[in-house]
Amino acid sequence: MGHYVVRRLFQMIPLLIGISIIMFALIQAAPGGPEAMFFESGRFINPKVVESYRHRLGLDQPVPIQYFKWLEAALTGDFGLSFSTTRPVSDMILERLPATLELMLTAFIFAALIAIPLGIYSAVRQYSLFDYFGTGCSFLGIAMPVFWFGLILQLIFSVKLGWLPTSGRETVGDATFLDQIKHLILPAIVLSLLYIAGWSRYMRSSLLSVIHKEFMVTARAKGLGERDVIWTHAVKNGLIPVISVMALDLAGLFSGAVITETIFAWPGIGRLFIQSTFSRDYPLMMGILMIGSFMVIFFNLIADLVYGWLDPRITYS
Amino acid sequence: MKTRKWLNVMWLLVLVAMVISACAPAATPVASQPTQAPAPTQPPAPTQPPAPTQAPAATQPPAATQPPAATKAPVATLEVTAQGKKILHVAYSAEIDVLNAFTSQNLTDPEVTMIEGLIMSNDKNQYIPVLAKEIPTYANGGAVKRPDGKVDMTWHLQEGVKWQDGVEFTSKDVCFTWNYIVGEPQVYNQDQYLNIESCKEVDKYTVLFTWKTPYAPYNTLFEALLPEHLLGKMTPTEITNYEPYNRSPLGTGPFKFAEWKPGEYIRVVKNPDYWRGPQYPMLDEIVFNFIPDNNTRLNAMKSKEYDLGIGFQANQVKDLKAIDGYSVSLVNSNAFTQFGTSIKSAKGKLLFSDPNVRKAMYYAIDREAIAKDLMEGTVTVATTQIAPFSPYYNPNTTIYNFDPEKAKQMLDAAGWKVGSDGIRVKDGQRFSFTILNRAGRNDRIAIAQVIQAQLKDVGIEVLMDTKESAAWTGQWRTGNWEAIVGGWFISGDPSITNLYSCKGANNMTGYCDPKADDAMNASDQALDFKDRKPLMDQVQALLADDAPDLPIYFNVLPVSYSNKLQNFKGSGTNLGSFWNSYEWDLTQ
Repeated sequence: MGHYVVRRLFQMIPLLIGISIIMFALIQAAPGGPEAMFFESGRFINPKVVESYRHRLGLDQPVPIQYFKWLEAALTGDFGLSFSTTRPVSDMILERLPATLELMLTAFIFAALIAIPLGIYSAVRQYSLFDYFGTGCSFLGIAMPVFWFGLILQLIFSVKLGWLPTSGRETVGDATFLDQIKHLILPAIVLSLLYIAGWSRYMRSSLLSVIHKEFMVTARAKGLGERDVIWTHAVKNGLIPVISVMALDLAGLFSGAVITETIFAWPGIGRLFIQSTFSRDYPLMMGILMIGSFMVIFFNLIADLVYGWLDPRITYS
Repeated sequence: MKTRKWLNVMWLLVLVAMVISACAPAATPVASQPTQAPAPTQPPAPTQPPAPTQAPAATQPPAATQPPAATKAPVATLEVTAQGKKILHVAYSAEIDVLNAFTSQNLTDPEVTMIEGLIMSNDKNQYIPVLAKEIPTYANGGAVKRPDGKVDMTWHLQEGVKWQDGVEFTSKDVCFTWNYIVGEPQVYNQDQYLNIESCKEVDKYTVLFTWKTPYAPYNTLFEALLPEHLLGKMTPTEITNYEPYNRSPLGTGPFKFAEWKPGEYIRVVKNPDYWRGPQYPMLDEIVFNFIPDNNTRLNAMKSKEYDLGIGFQANQVKDLKAIDGYSVSLVNSNAFTQFGTSIKSAKGKLLFSDPNVRKAMYYAIDREAIAKDLMEGTVTVATTQIAPFSPYYNPNTTIYNFDPEKAKQMLDAAGWKVGSDGIRVKDGQRFSFTILNRAGRNDRIAIAQVIQAQLKDVGIEVLMDTKESAAWTGQWRTGNWEAIVGGWFISGDPSITNLYSCKGANNMTGYCDPKADDAMNASDQALDFKDRKPLMDQVQALLADDAPDLPIYFNVLPVSYSNKLQNFKGSGTNLGSFWNSYEWDLTQ
């Protein structure tokens, strides 16, 4: 088992390098460059300014050379300086991490607490009114555009009722714990809705596939109570695929949520990423994408391990 | 037994979550950033704007002589709640990049509250002196034309002005700033400063610039100044990349830098030693909250979380006006929106080389309707590239009033006959072209759609191509497009040479008229209004006749502000509306 984990970890290295090559090429291939920011304000810009800017950033060199320079630094843990702010990329990402995790974890836990019971109940009471209602809500949740839902919540809870702030992470000058919780509620709800909708569907269908298996009949035949049958036999088996889906979603914790963070002016990594994309801030984009890629690979490993642990029939060697 | 294993699974999940959160540095919600904060050292002196009777200056010890980067004190957020403080909460647009006025790509209002220059622009889009006693002109003797054609310009500086660290502001700082700009090719308008041949420190409070040639927009330069005593030992490139200055600049302005929380806000606090007198600034703090989404910002204003909101679109004015207890400032800006064609692209050259064809198209476009219906009547219809409220505006040019019949006749006369599908044809070429749209600029895309519909009525087919903003910019700069709905933000000075002269740095359309070139160049060298005005009139008349583009309207920059905010005046130039923030006040 330990051997397996070590091997998987070593396999990450060539994988990450491969990913970085593709990312770097894709980013450079996108039309436009970091100089686009110069024209954002509508001011007169001399093309000479653009040339000298590109030269300073090293963008006038061939892409492979730029890549190797980037790789050389990245291998020593240096992701370079952001084009737009001239600050170290790693600093910029790290300072966004607390807010990102705060929002993502809240949404994640909230979603797990609702989605799993919801899915179980829907499966157990299949074709009941509650099941139809839950199914309807899930589809609504999946289909609802995040930006629209966010703005509607703002209109209801901030503008009309005045209970919660529209956006931001705290009221500057009055940042009590309660104030921060209030700021967290709306974005967390919007974000968790997607998870709830998806996970509860997984939970329901996975439980349904288990519920009619023969061992369930055996369990009932043994005389176990319905509660025991569902919780120890059905749910445990039904949970296996759901857990692996959730573990994969965990990778997103570090990438943030682009739209939700923008709508709610939440200072997370998602917003940083969209900002870096629009300004073609290559080092910052690479930094965020590499961390995101690492997390996806890492949580794939976690998902595999959890899977094996939950289901003794699966072993790794 | 089995239930326990199931419980274990839940524990594992929780554990994973906890490990992850532990990996994050300072995941505590009240992460006080290690920002440089000169604020805590503030003496207990008057927290309220003192009565005018108070003895000036004497009450305040100089705020120590440390550079702002030196003091690293965590900003206790509670401190801000101290009673009686007047804190202005601003709903600001997207986060800015750096606070160096010369290398920032944003129009940075936070920077204007901290850093002053020789000049600033006011609510009438005119330039006013700030750290200079007056703007030199021929009339006041500050500007003198030499026999060799060069111009000597003497700036007398305000005396007794101190940088926020207590060091005196002198002519050294002005020449140092000029040296930085001419040595830093990344300054966006460096070419304007390159006309200055030398900067001489005549004495502590007098600076002499020698210009190679007369340059009329000279009064738009030096809107910010750098502190020589802090940055003097660095090369221009080092200054540009110097994080302490980029993140926590030092100025002479009414407010000092206090805190910048990435992705959240910038906070500036009162400068107790402000040179305009102890009654200024009247506010204790300004907090700029970054809210990138326009609709969210509108909601935030509706729920009255902020005293001031900026960065709105013309079509949000109606909603803003409906907010009880708030007003909307609609200062006309020098930003004009135009419909442009490029003859640098093959198809553009084929279709638009004939000026009569361009004019015919302009007659087919209803600018009044765009201004009135699309922009809800908030903007001013343009007839030339100079705004109607500018003293340089020429009302007597060819004006392309909406007249589709005339458009049809002109197109017929130019040889474009209506074909079988309703689209005009000439020599086998259909009159069909593409407008290159920029994603996210919904106002401009809406205008493009109106143009599309109106041109269809006269037999011209318009297609749309919408590109993401950096991609759009990339293509637009090459001139390899057929048409766009674009815009420029010109400074308070009306020089448009850069845009329309044959070699203009921002002339991307291939337009070239030597006659207009001469008039524009001459106007740039005429320092006196009476000399310059006729030349600008001529420029506008020539551009209207050549018709390289169709100016549609002059934009407004709607600002929503609480009626508690006093003395807010607004502005329409690229230097923003914080120019008089020293006299802003909040009433209860």
